[in-house]
Amino acid sequence: MKPIDDTDPAAPVIQVSPSPHLVQSASSTRRMMVDVLIGMVPVVAMSLFVFRGYALFQLAVCLVACLLAELLFVKMRGRASTLKDGSAIVTGVILAMSLPGTAPWYVGTIAAFVAIGIGKTIFGGVGMNLFNPAMVGRAFVMISFAGAMAASGFEDVRSAVDAISQATPMNAYKMNGVVAPLSELFWGTTNGSLGETSALACLLGGFYLVIRRTASWEIPAGLFVAILVFGGVADLAGHADGWTVLHHILGGSLLFGVFFIATDPVSSPLTPKGKFIFGLGTGMLIMLFRFFSGYPEGVMFAVLLMNALTPLINRWTIPTPFGGQ
Amino acid sequence: MADLPTATERFINGILPENPVYRQLLGLCPTLAVTNSLNAAITMAGAVGFVLLCANVITSLIRNLLKPHLRIVVFTLTIATFVTIADRFLAAYLYQMSKTLGPYIPLIIVNCIIICRCEVCASKQSPLVAATDAIGQSLGFGLALSSIAAIREILGAGSLFGLRVMPAAWPDWTIMVLPPGAFFTFGLLLGTVNWIVTRKGAKKSQRRERSSP
Amino acid sequence: MDVEKKSFAGGLKSSNLVQAWLVMVLAVGFGISLAGVQLLLGPVIEGNKLNETLEKVPELVLGNFLAAKMASENQTLEIVPRQVTVKKLDRTKFYIVYEARYQGDLKGWVVKTKGQGYADTIELLLGLSPDLRSITGLFVLDQKETPGLGNKIITHAWRSQFVDAPADRTLVVIKTGSSRPGEIDVVTGATISSRSVTAMINTAIGDLRNPLTTAPSSQGKGGKHNG
Repeated sequence: MKPIDDTDPAAPVIQVSPSPHLVQSASSTRRMMVDVLIGMVPVVAMSLFVFRGYALFQLAVCLVACLLAELLFVKMRGRASTLKDGSAIVTGVILAMSLPGTAPWYVGTIAAFVAIGIGKTIFGGVGMNLFNPAMVGRAFVMISFAGAMAASGFEDVRSAVDAISQATPMNAYKMNGVVAPLSELFWGTTNGSLGETSALACLLGGFYLVIRRTASWEIPAGLFVAILVFGGVADLAGHADGWTVLHHILGGSLLFGVFFIATDPVSSPLTPKGKFIFGLGTGMLIMLFRFFSGYPEGVMFAVLLMNALTPLINRWTIPTPFGGQ
Repeated sequence: MADLPTATERFINGILPENPVYRQLLGLCPTLAVTNSLNAAITMAGAVGFVLLCANVITSLIRNLLKPHLRIVVFTLTIATFVTIADRFLAAYLYQMSKTLGPYIPLIIVNCIIICRCEVCASKQSPLVAATDAIGQSLGFGLALSSIAAIREILGAGSLFGLRVMPAAWPDWTIMVLPPGAFFTFGLLLGTVNWIVTRKGAKKSQRRERSSP
Repeated sequence: MDVEKKSFAGGLKSSNLVQAWLVMVLAVGFGISLAGVQLLLGPVIEGNKLNETLEKVPELVLGNFLAAKMASENQTLEIVPRQVTVKKLDRTKFYIVYEARYQGDLKGWVVKTKGQGYADTIELLLGLSPDLRSITGLFVLDQKETPGLGNKIITHAWRSQFVDAPADRTLVVIKTGSSRPGEIDVVTGATISSRSVTAMINTAIGDLRNPLTTAPSSQGKGGKHNG
């Protein structure tokens, strides 16, 4: 008997594609990814303006590494190339924007391979991943190379504003209690990970995504409610050393995380109610980490932890079918 | 007793076909906890090997006296004794290492590999078979531990046995010497072993199919 | 009679104690062998623990250079451990202090102290000058701080900040660039570990100031008198 050969063209071809099959065909994935990329435009533009060469460098490193990783791992699984759906590009851009400009090349490269390999391909590719791939990659390098990720930059003529030589606002606050002016946080002329500094750019891109329904509004809504409540309570309870709720919202990677990371449709809950709970939980965790942990920022870990809870939230919030009890 | 494996089979099985870590998924607590350096991993494997050998031989010697409902008590008593001896020896002659391994040496008492071998092999077979079984399983355990530890130490600290092997420019992947690194490495190695075994199995069945008609 | 005997034997057989004879015999046997091991190895282990500390004393009191010189010239410090009891408001605290003398002269103190770090207990050896005016050395005996961040407290570079730091005032942890004596740079990303080490040192010095400065001076006088 001849062994069955998958590559034999005469054999019937059964297409197996990642679920869900009904609403998300390859083209709708692609449309979504293009939308996310359009939403990222203000953020990328702002980071290029503020950090110049550094931003370009990180973007190049992360994009090339993500595409290579996608090519390699999909080939290892023996599947047709999925480069065209654009998901690897989105992961690459988000990853680059979440790294500090001064991070050496291997940081972005390792993060990209971990993101695509461990964050996505191991779970079964696009649409199957439990965790946000970019954040898996970032968490890996954050713990591995804490020094390189701390954005403890140096002065350099390559950047327009003298941002790269400062401590990040979150670090300066956590370490020395220095409070950055709100306007700087709003426009983004501070140091930090590339995409997180400008609140304005994140808001612009975020609103576009929400209007296009690529990002659901429930997640940001829940998250802001949590931040306002916990930040407000902290303000009232005498934590008011100048770092107010507004600082919490505009500073750090909160806005970037809210619109571009937490709203990832694959790793967040499916139902509207579930999405709101997801946002609420993420916001609570962020505040918890910011107040009580050794790290100045907690968006990444908060999103990853809530990603892990997503199946549970989905189960809680299954809508009762018509006629059901 | 004819259906029980012989001494040689027991020995070979322990190393790869029934590797305690990769094939039986036993003893994962030390596998994950002490594999951040090769030295610690090998010391741990040695301690487990010593305890396993002694416990297996003693259990096998008294196997005809065992009462079914009291056998677990006897196993635990035997294992605990030899673990304590191993612990004291390490503290006396490898003091720094015993400090590094900390509570994981006393925790060998609850290492399921040992009680599993007592139950599966030593309480049914002769001391000779029990001894070869213990040696085989210990080698398998040591192989698993040192493979994980080698990867973690090279990536996480750029060294092997504490000696620098990577170039000075190598950035240490701190996460690899932390607990998450253990899970990543173990998961990927387990996947690789499974992949190899499946491929071998597929080839074997293909060969059988080809030769049968 | 025969029936009685049988039932007695049956009762004996089903009794828990008799069923467990093997367990008990093994327990006694193993217990004896463990006692033997302990008798044999106990002193060695105690010696290991003591040596670990004693080996560090010359370096902590004299500094690397002098300690190495002494070792090469085959000279040794006389090290006398003693326990110092400090009565605090709510409780009493015990410190183990090693008194280092060279040919009768007091060269310094080494204090063993421990406290809570970021991850787990940190155990320190602290070298102090005889007059308790300055710190002569610091060694971390045991720590389980985060690798890559907190565990940098064991590096020579970080510890050496404490050498020659004044011991007559409180050490302050500084985030960016210490300039004055008595200021300690934080390990980047490990504020808590750095702070707890510094706090432990401050507490130990504060606790021991009185017992050490009063007791040894009388002892020293006694020594002189005898001589």
